[in-house]
Order: sequence, then structure tokens, then C-alpha cells
Amino acid sequence: MIVPATRRAAAVWVGSALVGALIFGQNAMHPSDLTWLALHNLGVGGVLGLTWLLVFVPTARLLIRGDGASYLRSLPGPRLAAKGIGLAALVVLQLPWLLLWTIGEGAVGLGVVAAGTVAIVVLASWKPPVMRATWPGWKADGTALRAVHLRALRRRAGDALVRGAGLSILAGAGAGLFVHNNELVDMDAAVVGASVMAVVLVPAEVGVLLVILTTHRQTAWLASSLGISQATRLAAVVYAIALVQLAATVIAIGAVALVSKPDHGTLLWIAGTSLAVALGSSLGCARVLLSAEDSPTVAARVVVGSTAIAALAVLCLGLFHELGVGAFLAACVLAIATVKVPR
Amino acid sequence: MRLAVERLRVKRGGRTILADFALEVKAGEIVGLVGKNGCGKTTLLSAIAGVLAPSDGRITVDGASVWGARSERQRARRSLGYVPETADPPGFLLGTELWSLCAASRGANPPSEALRAALGLDELREIAIERMSLGQRRRACLGAALVGPPPLLVLDEPDNGLDAKRLDAIVTLLKEHADNDGATVMASHDAALLEQLGARIVTMNVVT
Repeated sequence: MIVPATRRAAAVWVGSALVGALIFGQNAMHPSDLTWLALHNLGVGGVLGLTWLLVFVPTARLLIRGDGASYLRSLPGPRLAAKGIGLAALVVLQLPWLLLWTIGEGAVGLGVVAAGTVAIVVLASWKPPVMRATWPGWKADGTALRAVHLRALRRRAGDALVRGAGLSILAGAGAGLFVHNNELVDMDAAVVGASVMAVVLVPAEVGVLLVILTTHRQTAWLASSLGISQATRLAAVVYAIALVQLAATVIAIGAVALVSKPDHGTLLWIAGTSLAVALGSSLGCARVLLSAEDSPTVAARVVVGSTAIAALAVLCLGLFHELGVGAFLAACVLAIATVKVPR
Repeated sequence: MRLAVERLRVKRGGRTILADFALEVKAGEIVGLVGKNGCGKTTLLSAIAGVLAPSDGRITVDGASVWGARSERQRARRSLGYVPETADPPGFLLGTELWSLCAASRGANPPSEALRAALGLDELREIAIERMSLGQRRRACLGAALVGPPPLLVLDEPDNGLDAKRLDAIVTLLKEHADNDGATVMASHDAALLEQLGARIVTMNVVT
């Protein structure tokens, strides 16, 4: 119960560490500055609290409704010890949140964490209603395969998507603060904003990428025997990844707009650049997934590959600015075009 | 409809499973593959279904090669319905979604009322494949293979896990398919079932 929850929390810790380094490192903010703002500004407090709920509820679900937790509850004997361990894990695994509030506000901060934990437990205990099945009106194999990937995301990656939405807000908030505090505008703001988003969104995407890869593998024999071409299968994978990446980027852009309140021109630059980077990253990540498809260390390869793609985006933007967007897109198109297609 | 397997050679993990294997199945025919475990029945059916690539030889459905150029390959594979031994489509899919995927790929309608009644598919409509029993998964996969229906059925132990009522239904469905000039090639350890179907028996031997 604790080990899988710790694994799931690790992505949140990595995302929080990246944003924390940006907020509290370069800009020399102290945790108390942020916590004070959160306590005295309803908007900032709301966004911060909602972000933490989104990123941590999936981990809490493993501790409260996971298979391990259900098994422990089914065992005879006193349940107090299991409940105590679960509660302790629930608090300890919120390490970045706990550190922020205890360093920032001391005892009051602990109270905030306790109140947040109650809200997290209520949300994590909620069971979504069972949906009724209808006959899907798919007319072509490509449409059907894309819809199968979407169903896999909904049914297999729900927690990863919720966590990803939270990390997307964090990515946007980090990028927005960077842009705001350095008084960047237009393309300069876009280069920095899109770079920050590309890096912070990596831990948000990895869990989802693994679900897409599993679906791609599981549909392999069915697609082969149905005569669905490899190009159609590849397009379905790119579609699923692009949908997730673009949605995460749109959330992050929204957070940038709220945090840094840029002028229209700067916001357009940030939105255009980061969406183009997201599109390129989708192609690059699809390449990574397909090259790691048969590897026994697929998870590690996906993490390393996604990070390398984010690094490439930062490098291209940093070195070539506007032209860097085109260079990054061209590199990713080339990468996907070189996928070996089996028969 | 005519299935032709010529000089087929398939290797798995460096071991030759099939060597110079030949088989012909004509319209209206049911062929039953029998043989010891490991003789290559599943390997042969996987190669015919387009799932496992042969190292040599040729498999054609009405002249179109299952492993040929893109358009030919697509034509051949869309003419067949396959039930693998493991019956393991993605577990998160509901019954309706599996059948709709197959129908969309073949440009066919969803399973007919008669097919749904024969295999009891309506009770599987809203169940995720991972929550189905082995017999239910087999029925769901049979339903998927029979959507259309395609002229060639490639079935790997389709009777595995089925109760007597559904076995009778399969016999009826496969006989009707043969009467409509469809062809079936299937592996089974159930000699009584193959006899009931009036199948032509092809005995396979382990390659030494």
C-alpha cells in the first residue's frame, strides 16, 4: 500500500521540486511570502489549494481505495494500526506541501495541512458512478482506434490525468512567476515560459504516456488481424499524446495568464510558442514510446526520453528563439518519420 | 473463398516451429488442426491471421497475401476473423466496444440479433473484458470474429471454456458459415466437436 503510493507521489515531488527551485531559488522568495499571500489573497489561496488537491488526490486514492488498502481492511484483527499507518503515510507523502506550510507558517501551517488532508480524504473516498455502455458509432478503423485510446486514458489514466492537471497549473504558475519577476515580454517571455512549461510538464506526462504505450501494445494483435495499418496505429498514438500535451499546455497557459497578467501580445507569444512545443513534444514522445515498445526497461526509457525531448526544446528555444520553435518541430517530425514500421 | 498456405516456415525464439508447411482450405470447408502440444497449431493460426510474421513462404486469402504489400495485406486481413488461444483483447474495453472496433475495421454492421442471441452477447455488452470469465471472453472474441461475417474464420481452440449450450451454438454458427461459402480453419483438442462439425482433419507434427 505504501510503496505504490510512494511511487505515485514521486512524480508530484519531482514536479514540486522543479517549481520550488524556480520560485524559491532564482527569485529568492521565502516560503512565508507564498503562504502569507495564499492566506490573504483568496485567488492565490484558491489556486494553490486546488492545485495541491489535484496533484495529491491520486496518491491518496491508492492509500484509501487501492487494492492493498482493501486487502488490509479485509484482514481480521484490530484495524487501528492499519488506519494509523495509512493516515501517517497520507501526511508524510505530502512532503512538499508540509514543508511549504510548516516553514512558512509554523503551527498555523500544520493546521492548514490538516484541513487540506480532510478535504483530500473526502475527495479520494468518492466513487464515480458506473457509466452505461452505448453502441459506439465508429465508421472507420482510425476513428475506432483513436476512441479506444481515449477510453484507455479515461479508464486507466484517470489518476494520472488529475495529477497531470495539477502539475500543469504548477508549471504555468512557475512559468508565470518567472516571466513576471524578470519583467519579460513578447518572444523573451515566450522562450522562458515555454521552456519552464516543457520541463515541469515532464513528470505530469510520464504516467499517461505509459498508459498509451500499454494500450498500443494490447491492441497490437487485434489491429494486425483486422488489417489496421501501422500508419493508422501510429496516428492514433500521436493523437492520444497530443491531446494530453495540448490540454496540459492550455491549462498551464491559463495559469501563466492568471499569475503574470501579461499583455495580449506577450500572452499570444507564450501561447503560440508553448503550443508548438507541445505539438513537437507529442511527436517526439511518440517516437520514444515506439522505440521503447519492446524494452524490458520501458518506464525508465520513457522518463529519460521525455526529459531529453524537453531538454531539446529548451536548447532550441534558448539558442534560436523564434527559429528554435521551427527547429524543434522539424527535429520531432524527423524523429517520428524514422520510426521502423513492422509488417 | 480460398485460403492457401505454401512452403510456410515460421521461427520463434530461434526454434523452427513450422517448416515447408502447406495447407489449402476451400469455400464451404471446415478444417480442424490436431496434433500434440507444441506442434505449431497456434503458430500457424497466428501467421494466417497476420499476427506472427513467417520467415518464409506465402499465405493468401483469395489470392491476396496476408504478408504482402499494404493494400493486398489489408484486403487479405479484412477477409478474416481471428480468435486467439488466449482471447485477450484490451481488458478495459467493454463488449460493445470490441465488436464495434471490429465492425468499423471491416466496414460492417455491429453483431446481428441472431449472432447476439446465439452467443449470448447482450449480457456481455456492458462488461469490461478484464471482468469476464474465460468462457465469456471467448464468446466476446467469437462475436468479434464473426462480425460481418468475414469469409474466413481462424479460430484457436474456440471451444475452450464454453458450456454445452454455447458449444451447440458454435456448431450451428460454423455450419451456417460453411453453408454460405465461408471457410474455417480451427485448432481444437475436442475430437467430438470436430466430428460434429464434419471438419477435414489435418494432423500436424512437431518439427524435428
